[in-house]
Amino acid sequence: MNRPRLIFFVGIALGLVACANPERSRTLNDPSVAPKAMAMQVCSACHGVTGNSISPNFPHLAGQTPEYLVSQLTNFRKHSRSDPAGFEYMWGLSRHLTDEQVKGLAAYFSAQKRVATRVVTSRDQVAAGEAIFKSGVPDKNIPGCFACHGDHGQGNGQTPRLAGQHADYLQKQLMVFQRTDERPEGAIMKVIAHDLTENNMKDVAEYLQSLASN
Amino acid sequence: MRSANQKLAMFRWSACRAFAIAVAMLALGAVQNAAALPAFARQTDQNCVSCHAGGQFPELTPYGRLFKLTGYTIGERAVPFSLMGVWSYAKVADTSKSDSPATDFQKHATPIFATGSLFVAGKITDNIGVFSQTTYDNYASQSTNTDGLPSGDFKGHSQADNMDLRIADRFIDANGDLIIGASLNNNPSVSDVWNSAAAWMQYVPVPSPSSHQFIDGTTPFPGFGSGGNIAGLNLYAYWNQAVYAEIGTYRTANRAFSLFSAGIADADKTKLRGSGNPYWRFTLTHEWGPHNVMVGTSGMVAHIYDAGSDTSDPDNLGKIRNSGIDGQYQYLLDPHTITVQVAYMRQKQDYSANTMAAAAPPYFLADGVTEVPAPRSSDTTNVLRAKISYIYHAKYGGSLGLFNRTGTSNTLNQTSGYDSNGQITSGDPLDTGITSTRVNGNLTGNPATRGWTTEAFWIPLQYIRVGAQFTAYSKFNGATGNYDGFGRNAKDNNSLFLYLWAAY
Repeated sequence: MNRPRLIFFVGIALGLVACANPERSRTLNDPSVAPKAMAMQVCSACHGVTGNSISPNFPHLAGQTPEYLVSQLTNFRKHSRSDPAGFEYMWGLSRHLTDEQVKGLAAYFSAQKRVATRVVTSRDQVAAGEAIFKSGVPDKNIPGCFACHGDHGQGNGQTPRLAGQHADYLQKQLMVFQRTDERPEGAIMKVIAHDLTENNMKDVAEYLQSLASN
Repeated sequence: MRSANQKLAMFRWSACRAFAIAVAMLALGAVQNAAALPAFARQTDQNCVSCHAGGQFPELTPYGRLFKLTGYTIGERAVPFSLMGVWSYAKVADTSKSDSPATDFQKHATPIFATGSLFVAGKITDNIGVFSQTTYDNYASQSTNTDGLPSGDFKGHSQADNMDLRIADRFIDANGDLIIGASLNNNPSVSDVWNSAAAWMQYVPVPSPSSHQFIDGTTPFPGFGSGGNIAGLNLYAYWNQAVYAEIGTYRTANRAFSLFSAGIADADKTKLRGSGNPYWRFTLTHEWGPHNVMVGTSGMVAHIYDAGSDTSDPDNLGKIRNSGIDGQYQYLLDPHTITVQVAYMRQKQDYSANTMAAAAPPYFLADGVTEVPAPRSSDTTNVLRAKISYIYHAKYGGSLGLFNRTGTSNTLNQTSGYDSNGQITSGDPLDTGITSTRVNGNLTGNPATRGWTTEAFWIPLQYIRVGAQFTAYSKFNGATGNYDGFGRNAKDNNSLFLYLWAAY
């Protein structure tokens, strides 16, 4: 390569480096990167730009309560939430977030609107799930979910919104609560989920997924 | 000169040493799970399954594809080095139909440490990142004895492998998503993010000893005729995670780009004419629920000088045109990973004027009188490959692959045939000056090769894979039976391949 051409390419490279914009940074250990930039450039890859994820591997974050989002990001950061869905993806991404960035991310996603998606569900399953959500499983002394998660599954503070969440994600998290100690912050759910059958979990998860956005 | 017993003892020692190292690595890994992650994983501190479908590197997940397309820049700068090693064992169905099994099937049924790679990989700036692999081949060459026969003493050698330096930016908001970037790389399609691309569909490196010459990695793949270790600059754009377009052009990897062909002797480097050797790639993608699908097309036109020839002579220049279509489907929902890939590549090769001037196949038809037809000045090949794989819990997996290459017959490509006495010999006892090649020979001048591969693998730790492959052939070098003229059949090349692949 002759010198002018080399200078040309180096010049282009330096120019592009100089054009790097912190508003489009994907750096995760820089306190100066704005939470919204992180949400756009990194979080969106799995959770969607507006917190409405496509794959059920990743939970919807749109409309989630900010307190719950702060608590989860904090738990990922300090490795106290250790279920596979959490540590495989989130331990690393959250490891050097500042408290301000955590709050900013929570504020961004909680302000987004959950967009209803069309899913195929069984009416019988949804009806059975609705019964569990509203009345629990009385013969096993399992209370209805609405008592803590709200009449419409909208969540309340540290208690997460469940409405419209991926059924697969909800079911797997119920299994995590029931069978492991990987989410100590949700210890109360271990007690509640203790006697749920797999069908109970599927039913209530399908019902919650079917709830319209609100 | 070593005795046969000494050689055997050395082989056994090498085998023991290779497996001792492998076991030591496994043991080391077992106690250092959290820390033992390759460079990109250190950069993001994420598990391998984040970016690799079911943990089966190198196949990427949707997130892994975005990680690459945004220039390997997600995360934070970390120690940018990783090591990878491959230990292997290969066994060919029939080693008897050979003049020299020790030569045709080196290290047959012998465990070896095959290759090791050093990666320099990771985020450099907010917009720039690199993936660079240099590979040490423990069996790169072999010395010969005074009688000209291989000594059995192999020598290792390192050279540039896949390299990709890229710069990217992403413009995204609730209304749209546009990733743009440029990749400076040394292998057409190494910049690609789908596993049906030529550079990535072959997913286990091929060790050099000739006992490995029929394993899956050596079967027909829908690749580009130019091969690698050349220098290309590609520009790409990915719009709304739905439409991807990439264009680029390649040139010889010399002068400022010598790093891309480091370790390769000048005479062995691929020499291209100028910088006008275009490459293109276009795909449509869609993701719904746990499913994602891609359909795409790619192609390249390469003006290539004959190997080791004088590049100032235009009569040494040939041309290869590739055009292909491919597709990929993934189902990713823990604990299941299902992937399907299909790729088809058509290649038209025009031979150089000097190749044709020198082309005079020495062979005769079976009558020993009639010369074989004159060579054709161009050839066309079509390669179809399909693979389906399933992985459970990112630990246990299996796959089934099919390959089929067809093409034009050309006496230029004959490496076996009849001499003027109507005989086929490799030793030329009648001094006709006409010899044929056993095992690798091609009696028909046709490239048709067809077969299948099945594999089972285990990922005990996220950076270690242990696999067993079996590859079976129903056609090889244009024929089902007697493809080399010495009675060797396609099925004689059926191969068992075991490997342990680890990265740190």
